[in-house]
Amino acid sequence: MSKEYSFRRNRIIGGIGADDGFWENLEDGTFAMCRCPDCKRWMWPALWRCPHCGGWEQEWVPVEPTGTVYSWTRSWYAFDRTQQRADEIPYVVVLAELEQAGNARVLGQLTGPEDGLRIGARVEATIQPPSDKTLGYPSLRWRLT
Amino acid sequence: MSSALRGATAIVGIGQTPYYKRGTAPENEQKMCLRAIVGACDDAGVDPADIDGFVSYGSEMNAGQRLMPALGTRELRFGALMWTHGGGIPGAVGLAACAIVAGQADIVVVYRAMAENAGGRLRVAVAQSDTAAMHLVNGMDAPAQRLAMRTQRMLEAEGMPREAMRTLAMVDYYHAKNNPNAMGRHIDLDEETYESSRWISEPFRVFDCSRENDAAAAVIVVSAERAKDLRQKPAYILSAPHGAPQGWGALEENLTPYTSAGMIGLARRLWDESGYGPQDVDVAQIYDHFTGLGVAALKEHGFFTRESVSEFMTFKNLIAPKGGLPLNTSGGNLADGFIHGMGLVPEAVRQIRGQSVNQVPDVNLSLMTGGGSDMVVSTALFGSEATL
Repeated sequence: MSKEYSFRRNRIIGGIGADDGFWENLEDGTFAMCRCPDCKRWMWPALWRCPHCGGWEQEWVPVEPTGTVYSWTRSWYAFDRTQQRADEIPYVVVLAELEQAGNARVLGQLTGPEDGLRIGARVEATIQPPSDKTLGYPSLRWRLT
Repeated sequence: MSSALRGATAIVGIGQTPYYKRGTAPENEQKMCLRAIVGACDDAGVDPADIDGFVSYGSEMNAGQRLMPALGTRELRFGALMWTHGGGIPGAVGLAACAIVAGQADIVVVYRAMAENAGGRLRVAVAQSDTAAMHLVNGMDAPAQRLAMRTQRMLEAEGMPREAMRTLAMVDYYHAKNNPNAMGRHIDLDEETYESSRWISEPFRVFDCSRENDAAAAVIVVSAERAKDLRQKPAYILSAPHGAPQGWGALEENLTPYTSAGMIGLARRLWDESGYGPQDVDVAQIYDHFTGLGVAALKEHGFFTRESVSEFMTFKNLIAPKGGLPLNTSGGNLADGFIHGMGLVPEAVRQIRGQSVNQVPDVNLSLMTGGGSDMVVSTALFGSEATL
């Protein structure tokens, strides 16, 4: 019997939505990103079709959990659909670029000290299991190294 | 470039309800929508029942089929919703023009109506089917946060001066002072007030962000030929390109280019099709959901470069009547009111007609940009008869 994933029970609809592989892997404790199995180019976010070679499949490849800060924002306000974060305000969300995955950019809340937060700073990822804070999805958080 | 569209149509009527503080509209959203449409018809001298085309954008709920009974519509011949959100407004006007040029409709209304009594909170209604799990799971809900992230890179990595954002906000509030309908007309926005205001999502402070209001606005588009016989001086549509560059799409912060308002290619199409350039523009309504994207939109239209930004983005250069390029002459999205940016279209038209509260002398070319960095964006250039 296949595993029941928390994120599926709490599915959020709004993006392209071809990234079940990411969330499954993350819930299993692995940071994996999507590649076209035919031409091996990274597809991020995951796509239903490879725009380069026209392939229709995906492969999910574990990546080194490190990146470089591409941008960030510090939120001082609890917005409507992230009210569960009200007690964390202000909190920083980082967009990290992964050279090892075709320069794909992955969002994650910043965890740990904020000293040295700037574009170009190196970060490493930690994986969190599903929680109310993360709307029933597993998540990845970035820490400055 | 030869264009079937250039100058073939014009905006001939504008109608707006007052702006209300969000959630306080005295009437139902759809009723306000009808008021704006009928008001635009009265302005033009057109019978509302003769409207045969309906175009809106974003999360607009009042589709043509809901309005036609109350308008007494004789025949609905064209109806469409332009993508994506505020980015789509000039494109919606362009789509109306396309329908007329293609002979599919004669009198097209372009409109937007928003009231919490019907559609819920503006910022939720706008984003709700468009926000990926990757965003929400990581505490990124609102456009304010996502566009703050893009603006942060503009500031930190690409040399956009913070002062440029502040100047745009100050210009909006300055112009609002003359506008009896502007929600922000009582606010004196000086540098100190701006710099000491609370953060929303860095680098945006509260004064960098547009309002949320209940209101409705509509414009009537007809052929240039038909425009001659109506009440108002026509604002001819010279060009209204709409689109997104390669490397864009619903990509959860993976857009390339990332810090773009999306208008580099659109500006090229705009100038090619109209035959004009940034130096010819007399006045501009620049969509400023957030100041940073307004500044980026100006840059991408060619008004300044990375090197000359501080020279261009001065208060004096951007205010009516004497600035080099007066902007947002009714107060913009920050200080006038915000129903997803639709209020910028009537103001762009008023400047052509000579009817603005902050009128720029001798306006021939009036620019209006859509919401920068929306997933699909647009821009439009309106002109007087002399520009045809």
